[in-house]
Amino acid sequence: MHAIDAITQAVGRVLAICFPIMVLLTAGIVAARYLFDAGAIAVQEAVMYLHAATVMLGLGYALRHDAHVRVDVLANRLGPRARAAVELAGHLLFLLPVTVAVIWFCWDYVAASWRIREGSPEVGGIPGVFLLKTLLPLGAALLLLQGVAETLRTLTKLRTLR
Amino acid sequence: MSGTYPLLMFAAVFAALLVGYPVALTLAGVALLFAALGAATGAFNPGDFGFLPGRLFGILNNQTLIAVPLFVFMGVTLEKTRIAEDLLAALSAALGRARGGLAIAVVLVGALLAASTGIVGATVVTLGLLALPSMQRAGYPHDLATGTVAATGTLGQIIPPSIALVLLGDVISNAYQQAQLSAGVFSPKPVSVADLFAGAILPGLILVALYLAWLMYRARAGASLPRGEPRRSDVSLLRSLFAPLALIFAVLGSILFGLATPTEAAGVGAAGALLLAGIGGNLNVTALRDISDSTLKTTAMVFFILIGASIFSLVFRGFGGDEWVHALFEGMPGGKWGALAIVMLVVFLLGFMLDFIEITFVVVPIVAPALLAMGFDPVWLGIMLAINLQTSFLTPPFGFALFYLRGVTPDEIPTSAIYSGVVPFIALQLLLLVLLILWPALATHLPALL
Repeated sequence: MHAIDAITQAVGRVLAICFPIMVLLTAGIVAARYLFDAGAIAVQEAVMYLHAATVMLGLGYALRHDAHVRVDVLANRLGPRARAAVELAGHLLFLLPVTVAVIWFCWDYVAASWRIREGSPEVGGIPGVFLLKTLLPLGAALLLLQGVAETLRTLTKLRTLR
Repeated sequence: MSGTYPLLMFAAVFAALLVGYPVALTLAGVALLFAALGAATGAFNPGDFGFLPGRLFGILNNQTLIAVPLFVFMGVTLEKTRIAEDLLAALSAALGRARGGLAIAVVLVGALLAASTGIVGATVVTLGLLALPSMQRAGYPHDLATGTVAATGTLGQIIPPSIALVLLGDVISNAYQQAQLSAGVFSPKPVSVADLFAGAILPGLILVALYLAWLMYRARAGASLPRGEPRRSDVSLLRSLFAPLALIFAVLGSILFGLATPTEAAGVGAAGALLLAGIGGNLNVTALRDISDSTLKTTAMVFFILIGASIFSLVFRGFGGDEWVHALFEGMPGGKWGALAIVMLVVFLLGFMLDFIEITFVVVPIVAPALLAMGFDPVWLGIMLAINLQTSFLTPPFGFALFYLRGVTPDEIPTSAIYSGVVPFIALQLLLLVLLILWPALATHLPALL
């Protein structure tokens, strides 16, 4: 459990660095267009790659830090045991099946893209669309991993609350 | 088309949401369970999941949506590096000794800055922590102070450049395309995020004007409001006032005049916010790490809902859910206005439970194509939905904004003061909706000029 937490934490720290880079690249694209009349599809795509990475690989990190929105109008009135039970049921019924399903259904799609080393649809783009697509199952896998850690954590909590 | 499965799906999602498990996973999880059930009874074709990877990939490489993390980054920077705080102080000083000056400053700052964070809870909490203590110190009545903060916190939903409008713009534009295609128009005029921004300007300004008019009225009549603090030095005032305003207008202007896409403008805005923070001396490695970390969490949260909603709608469609909604609307008494009234009511009620993002991704894609096919203008519909939701967030006893505000309000302010404080603002919101129904051009005129 702690090992998984450490992985998630490390991934989160690396992903966070992507944002200032995205900001600078995007501002750079605009500046380059007006100052030098130059466009750069590769840079534009680089921003998209960074964005896609933060979105998919950040899911587990957000789960670890409980950043995913919940409807807490009624849940606030539940006791700690009931809440932990909801967590456990949710992890087992929703989180684990959903992440496994995403990996399952994306597998062939990503594999097909790898076979042809799918490149950019644009001329001068980054030839790594197969890597971009790989983010889908990879992000789901990280979320699954963190989901397992959270399930263990909730189990421990339920045991101590008894 | 039978509505049993779609109806059950909705019911199951809401039941599951109420116990408080994360929304994104609840949407996707319930959908998956229903898909398994439907596959077993033959009501759902599991082959539909073949569309899933393409759809998810479409979320990742959607250029418009890249604006979301960039706007979040900009908003978080303005908030965490004291720029927002200084702006509030400067504005209330600038309004000098006018009665109710501080309340007016709160509305103006909220309107300008809340725009870029776009998540109701976060905005209300920030504004509450920022403005409530100083309003209390200045001697504002409890109801007026809390009402102003709650209403202003939700204002950011409809004032561009708001994330809510970026998301809504993306969804409405897809819905419009779908409606046009099914009506046999194969080269539909696209609706863009910029259109929605332009459409929101007049209604947003009217709303701010209504809020201000109410505050000025309160300042004169009844309990007279305290005066602002005396002026500070003009130079510091000008800097903390002018720079952030220039930034916001530059971002908005470059989108509206077509100089930059919303994504590019968001990037430039975020860079500008960093620059301002640097000049103010509030930017260091720790601050930058803090900003990036909170941007990462918010971004993952927003897009996860989008992913969950996309799995939900895939299964919902698989069960024929959209045809069911369409048929439901067609049979509605009162024609298209009847259908609109029902949608507005449902969205209003949903606003008690769900935030803007969930409703935009789950409900709007289902109802908007049918409504647009009935002949409503896409920009107008988007603005109506946004204002309706904003009103819902304010309405006691379930309004979102009120819960969050309660969380950061000192105990000596009773909940009843919060409730009575928002009532006049709710009335103003409803007035704006009426104005938009009477004169749709308020929303549609500016986008037509672009």
